[in-house]
Amino acid sequence: MDLERAQTVSLALGQEFLTWLWFASETSHGLFTARDGEVFSVTVEQKVSVQGGEGEARETAVCSGPMAELREARMGLVTGKKVNKAKLRVEKDEVSWQVLVDAASFTLQGLKTPKVSMTLEEGEDPDARILEKIYLMEKCTGYVDSVFARFLEIRFGADWPEETQRLRQWLRR
Amino acid sequence: MGFMSASVALTRYRIVEEDIPSSLWAEVGERLKRNAFRDIDASVEERSFGWVSFANMLDPDFALCPPEKGGYLAFTLRLDTRRVSPAVMKKHVAIAMNEAMRTMREQGRKFLTKEQKAEIREQVELRLRARTLPVPACFDVVWDTHRQTVCIASVQPKLTELFEELFTHTFGLHLEPLTPYFLALQHLGPGRQSEVDNFEPTIFAMGGQ
Repeated sequence: MDLERAQTVSLALGQEFLTWLWFASETSHGLFTARDGEVFSVTVEQKVSVQGGEGEARETAVCSGPMAELREARMGLVTGKKVNKAKLRVEKDEVSWQVLVDAASFTLQGLKTPKVSMTLEEGEDPDARILEKIYLMEKCTGYVDSVFARFLEIRFGADWPEETQRLRQWLRR
Repeated sequence: MGFMSASVALTRYRIVEEDIPSSLWAEVGERLKRNAFRDIDASVEERSFGWVSFANMLDPDFALCPPEKGGYLAFTLRLDTRRVSPAVMKKHVAIAMNEAMRTMREQGRKFLTKEQKAEIREQVELRLRARTLPVPACFDVVWDTHRQTVCIASVQPKLTELFEELFTHTFGLHLEPLTPYFLALQHLGPGRQSEVDNFEPTIFAMGGQ
């Protein structure tokens, strides 16, 4: 396996995914459906970084703010940049997660899960809160993976040209 | 970085080997202990790393907290680094050089050789290191033994490389990072590898085709 090629594809595929995700979440009210039928929401908020160009001409623009409209980042997309980092809010029923996803590596930063109580009840297994935290982290990565799987189906399927047109229309808005 | 913190950084992996010998599970504790963290507080070593128990960085024997947690294995990578501040180093090298030059003049010599200067620098570094306490850092690891995925609470490439090597050395298993490329291969299946390998980015911007 060519690891250099794997890295190049990861960057391009990851950037295309996060760009598509921004478009898809805005045009579907953030709603996504997992394979098992579970409905959850993913929205891009507070922080987006867009990147374009190659080598020394590579440019990155970062937009952030608690209620930011991320207008500059959108402008970046119009001029050919793609999302290389995005902060996502994942919601399911009453609970929510926040996470900053890196396009090239899919590493997660600042992952905030719903709060896990740190105080142990009498007789409670001390591993219980560790397992609860793992469960909550896996829920979040599971939702993100599920959206990525949906993207792959579209990206490597027959409908991609149509989806690209819709994405371009969204950019023109 | 700990998984129990309010904000967590995460790098995820898949274990490459599909047939993990079942005997490995009984050996996990022993293998972790064989590669456990070794304290360097009393030495002058620059760096030490190894496994400690998940809940306690002072427990390299896994006596207080065994790694088995339900269907998961949880443990921690501890890395201690002894680093002398460059400004402190610069000052003490200057003092030692001045001292060496005084002795040199008294002995009627005219200059310090390159080797002598290097030796002075090395000795100063060792002396200062002996007086500097190593800084500990802990990175939690969770291994899902059903799905054979592993994650570590860090996104620093240098640290994750160190982790990957130590994991392979400890368990004889290899980790594949769950990057978009590898996730795509996993999702689409090996039959479509060439499509992923030949991936060409789409142009979304105005005027793109």
